[in-house]
Amino acid sequence: MAADSPTAAGAPTSGGRDRFWLPVVWVVLSIVGCLLVALVWGPHMPPGAQSTSAASQQFDYRVLGTMATPVVIGVLLYLVWAMIFWRQRPGDETDAAPLHGNIKIQATWIIGTAAIVLFLAAFGTYYLIVPAGAGAGEGPQPIWKPAGTTTSSITSWTPGTSNILQIQVIGQQWAFTYRYPQFGGFETTQLMLPVGEPVQFNVTSLDVIHSFWAYTLGVKADANPGLNNVAYTTAYHTGQFQVRCDELCGIWHGSMYDTGDVLSVPAFMKWAQTTKTQLADVTKLLPPYADSYDPTTLTNLGTVNVKLGLVGAGGGFYNPADPEQP
Amino acid sequence: MSLPARAATLVVAFLAVVAAVIFVAFKFIGAQPSVENYTPYASGGQVNVTMMTAAQTTVTNKPDWVTYFIKNPSSGNFDHTTYFAVPADTRVNMTIYGYDGCTPLRNPLWGKVAGTVGDVENVSFFNGKTYTPSTPLSTFDSWANCSVQHTFAIPGIGLNVPIASVTTFEENSNLCGTSPCTAANQDANAPHTVIKFSFMTPKTAGTYRWQCFVPCGLGYVDGNGGPMGTPGYMMGQMEVQA
Repeated sequence: MAADSPTAAGAPTSGGRDRFWLPVVWVVLSIVGCLLVALVWGPHMPPGAQSTSAASQQFDYRVLGTMATPVVIGVLLYLVWAMIFWRQRPGDETDAAPLHGNIKIQATWIIGTAAIVLFLAAFGTYYLIVPAGAGAGEGPQPIWKPAGTTTSSITSWTPGTSNILQIQVIGQQWAFTYRYPQFGGFETTQLMLPVGEPVQFNVTSLDVIHSFWAYTLGVKADANPGLNNVAYTTAYHTGQFQVRCDELCGIWHGSMYDTGDVLSVPAFMKWAQTTKTQLADVTKLLPPYADSYDPTTLTNLGTVNVKLGLVGAGGGFYNPADPEQP
Repeated sequence: MSLPARAATLVVAFLAVVAAVIFVAFKFIGAQPSVENYTPYASGGQVNVTMMTAAQTTVTNKPDWVTYFIKNPSSGNFDHTTYFAVPADTRVNMTIYGYDGCTPLRNPLWGKVAGTVGDVENVSFFNGKTYTPSTPLSTFDSWANCSVQHTFAIPGIGLNVPIASVTTFEENSNLCGTSPCTAANQDANAPHTVIKFSFMTPKTAGTYRWQCFVPCGLGYVDGNGGPMGTPGYMMGQMEVQA
């Protein structure tokens, strides 16, 4: 716009074109762009809408994307406009118009973008809080919980009640395992959820830091040894979803993934009861259900293990003087 | 020196550096263990694979690293590698000689046999003199009992096999001291176990990693570095060939 300064000798004299058509083109393109982003691209934005947390994240992206569209179009349009209309003509050796500050434009830009950014900050924060943390790990004492749910029992669960379903996610090099304390505390390599029922994931680790990322459910929580990291979601639809580790955790980090399944409530109950029975012999060997586990010090080791000097499941086989010790 | 000569020198020096980098990358960083190819030895939809665990790797410059060995199907020798190839849609009859001592599992879940034919493994114990009859077992309590030394797990096909250990203090105090634990090393008669199980390979070709779920590399990244994170020791790959 400053290029249209009437004081600039040899400057473009197309003030009408720039002052009228440039904003008009920008408004038209912005309206079209916003509609395309919000209504066409938006429903396909990651992570999808398979759960409450995923849907809330997708809604955030749609709003953010829609609001960013006029800004992006404005920048790109201004660039193209300059290249087409304000380029140097052949034989034109005059200097470009000297640039002077334009208080109106600067103020409009600063106030406008500040308003957008502040609105999006407030909007984003609100939509992180309202859907119970939006699927993110909230630490051991979550502030935002799903409305209408309680943790009245961690040893039993009935569909359709306020008592929330507990699933413990245990990261270890290099696999996730899942424990269901309300079904006798069995642990399995399969992750199954009931559709339409709020779920509380309790995420921990037996060794290094992992990260439980069920990305099409919009759930992501770091798995820290000795810590319980809580995240919530409610699945909207039955079907499979992918789980990956999202924290570089060693040589097989890239292979640390699972395919989970959202089942109908009757199918989930049947699976849980069947698995509970199938795994009964190993379930009784598991430590009592807890928020986290310390496998390096075990108090219930047998006499031979103790006699061999083993105190836990942390290894302990190398001579400290070995030059390969770190 | 003329300009062409300087340019040529520069090009030659650049290529020498690139060649050195490629050599180091392939020779050292990207070095992979050899692959024991069992595919030509498959017959009637089955193939027999033999492996061994040992408490040390005296054939390498890391003598106190625990390790697996795989039997070379051609020579019959145990080679220091953890890579093997088998045909697709084939029953693998695995035999593992377990020459290491016991340790508690970090996660007792891995004490349950999964993914094998019949969800069992057959175990025979050798106390240095006699073998016990091979017995089918499905669950091991490694905390209460000295019963597991390592695991052989292929997560991609849901396979988990606890490698049974000898169970007494005396047996665990007289383990094989030179690996591989063979008659040639006069260590074949050290106390050990013989584990046999079968599993089906996938119907299509692919590469599946396998690993031990016992953190037997303590001192290295929470027990899962060192031999646990190095191809050729406590983890490897099963190449399924079409």
